[in-house]
Amino acid sequence: MHAYRQAPWRTRRQTIGLFLAVLVCASMVAALYLSVTSRTAIIGREIQSLESEISANRQRNADLETRLAVLLSNRETERRAREQGFRPASPDEIHYLVVPGYVPPQPVSLAARPDLRVNAPTIPPEYTQSLFEWFDEQMRASTSSSSPVGASQ
Amino acid sequence: MRKQYAWRSLALAVCFAVIGLSVIAQMVRIQNSEEADFFRKRFDLYASKVETIYPARGEIYDRNGHLLAGNQIVYEIGVTLEAVQNPATIAQALTGVLGVNYEEIYTAITEPPEGQVYLALADFVPADQATALQQLQENLDAQPDDGAPERPSLAGLVFKQHLARSYPENSLGSNVIGFVNYEGRGFFGVEGKYDDLLAGNSVDVWVPVDPYRVEEIPQVPDGTTLILTLHRELQAAAEQILDQALSDYGAASGTIVVMDPRHGEILAMASTPRLNLNEFGNYAQLFDNTSEFNRAISMPYEPGSVFKILTMAAALDAGVVQPDTTFLDTGAIMVGGAKIENWDKRPWGLQDMTGCLQHSLNVCMAWVALQMGPQTFYEYMSSFGIGHPTGIDLLGEAAGRLKIPGDADWYPVDLGTNSFGQGVATTPVQIMMAASAIANDGKMVTPHVLYGMVRDGEQYNIPPQDAGTPISAETAHVLNNMLAVSLENESSEALLPGYRLAGKTGTAQIPTQYGWYASGVTNASFIGWGPVDDPRFMIYVWLEKPTTSIWGSDTAAPVFAQVAEKTVLLLNIPPDSVRQQFATR
Repeated sequence: MHAYRQAPWRTRRQTIGLFLAVLVCASMVAALYLSVTSRTAIIGREIQSLESEISANRQRNADLETRLAVLLSNRETERRAREQGFRPASPDEIHYLVVPGYVPPQPVSLAARPDLRVNAPTIPPEYTQSLFEWFDEQMRASTSSSSPVGASQ
Repeated sequence: MRKQYAWRSLALAVCFAVIGLSVIAQMVRIQNSEEADFFRKRFDLYASKVETIYPARGEIYDRNGHLLAGNQIVYEIGVTLEAVQNPATIAQALTGVLGVNYEEIYTAITEPPEGQVYLALADFVPADQATALQQLQENLDAQPDDGAPERPSLAGLVFKQHLARSYPENSLGSNVIGFVNYEGRGFFGVEGKYDDLLAGNSVDVWVPVDPYRVEEIPQVPDGTTLILTLHRELQAAAEQILDQALSDYGAASGTIVVMDPRHGEILAMASTPRLNLNEFGNYAQLFDNTSEFNRAISMPYEPGSVFKILTMAAALDAGVVQPDTTFLDTGAIMVGGAKIENWDKRPWGLQDMTGCLQHSLNVCMAWVALQMGPQTFYEYMSSFGIGHPTGIDLLGEAAGRLKIPGDADWYPVDLGTNSFGQGVATTPVQIMMAASAIANDGKMVTPHVLYGMVRDGEQYNIPPQDAGTPISAETAHVLNNMLAVSLENESSEALLPGYRLAGKTGTAQIPTQYGWYASGVTNASFIGWGPVDDPRFMIYVWLEKPTTSIWGSDTAAPVFAQVAEKTVLLLNIPPDSVRQQFATR
């Protein structure tokens, strides 16, 4: 029986290789960490910026609504109507007609109209379904597409 | 040779290891040092802040969706003291654009309180003025720096936008809407009554500055939006007619209220004077006391003969008199030892009850009250709500005053005088609520201005409130007809061609603070409703101290006709003949 030992250069190469492997791994982890944290910070800043933009837009919407109301105010509307040659009608100028199905104007309803899109799925299935579900879906799809069409006896 | 290399390599490795270890040791030391602890605490201090988010105040709309009270962007203008380069330029710019005092601004910037970082110089600055300042700031920034020490600069000027209350219709419906001051507190009218609902709930939110800790800021729901029963165009017409009436009849002030007697919805409520709500700082210049803000609900007065319809309603309902009951009017009657006379101090002879109303005979009404007796009379008046607030949803309603037997200041003569509206203090809405029983088959409705409210996208409409049934439906029909006939027989100026209306004038003397009545000045009133067969509107007119004529029939009655004409047009109420044609089809 012969005793063998590895050549010294081979041992050193293994040590250096192992060290380099650890170094590369550590560098990769560090780079990945740096990349993820920097992106998180950027996105965090974007979220903060968007939140303040949302707040500003809500204020702008309220402001525009009020400006619109000023333009449509009773005094302004009457002024524009008079400028265009309109005048208030007198009772003897009014003619009443029976309109079948006419519904007299009701007080305003300001309730938000239901938006159907809100209930629609907005997140693509790629982000929600598991690998198993995707596989199952693919199987079903392939089964249905390969089923015989018009196969009747 | 190889060994020498090995030693060198080892020395180099040790050297690097020592350097590496010292770096690590230093890092550990710094992380755990007192300074690090200090910085960590500083970081925690500034990493986040608690912000109070105030929701946008709820809007106010009329019944057709016209905005009556909204919000607009205004600016707080301040300076970041460290960034200020030229305080004189800032003071000059603010003086020029905002009209503020130069010295005050200059001193505030140059001599700030110790430790102050930011200084607010002006708030609630309109957008156009803020934009002018921002433009000026940009222009000065764009100028090349010539190194001059006194170079004009608005550096350090900061603009913070926020919302403030705005009223697109200015003074329209101001007495109903009320206003909000700079602290966001509602005063008078709807703004005062529903202040909590409109203001919403502020929320304290933890807002991280550290982008790694950023969280979604919760959406604070806006204040509740209110929809009023007011009809904007009718409100404008009522105000226009009222202003014209004050001018035509030389009245000191006035009130016009239009209500739907079926539900108690107030369609218009005009009162003088009116405040431009966007300039609420002028309040003290316009009003001497709070009750003047909305006379229709806050200022009780002796209504005079319009009160006779309640006396007659009570007497008919109690079965004391019938429409054809006759009374021989001799021109005077003794009640509680005091002599009561007619308005013209002359006898009117034999009259039926319609005649008593038509000629507005005080003597006849005092006799009717005597037939009822004080207990029945005051029980009916109480069930009509006289002497109590109606519960209208506006801030500052007055209760009025009805003295009743047992009160220290009630005397037997009061039964006689109360029967024709003297010695009793009511507000226009109180009389309207009571009269709604006559127009509405005996059912009395609570007057209200809130039609509905919108919160979280849902609208909740307010159901009308029944205020009792003081008289029977039969009594209501009979009295309706009597009042319509008395208007027609009188050829009243309140009549509106094509429409059958019921109503009653009122001319009341004004009591002085010394207890007797002032001579030559009156309160002229008119209450009426129509169409009689299906009442859709009830109108109350009150002109205070008209000078062209003291009589309600000459002043308030024609004003009623004008308002009625506008009302039927704006509410699409066809003339009686047309309605009957439509009904037969």
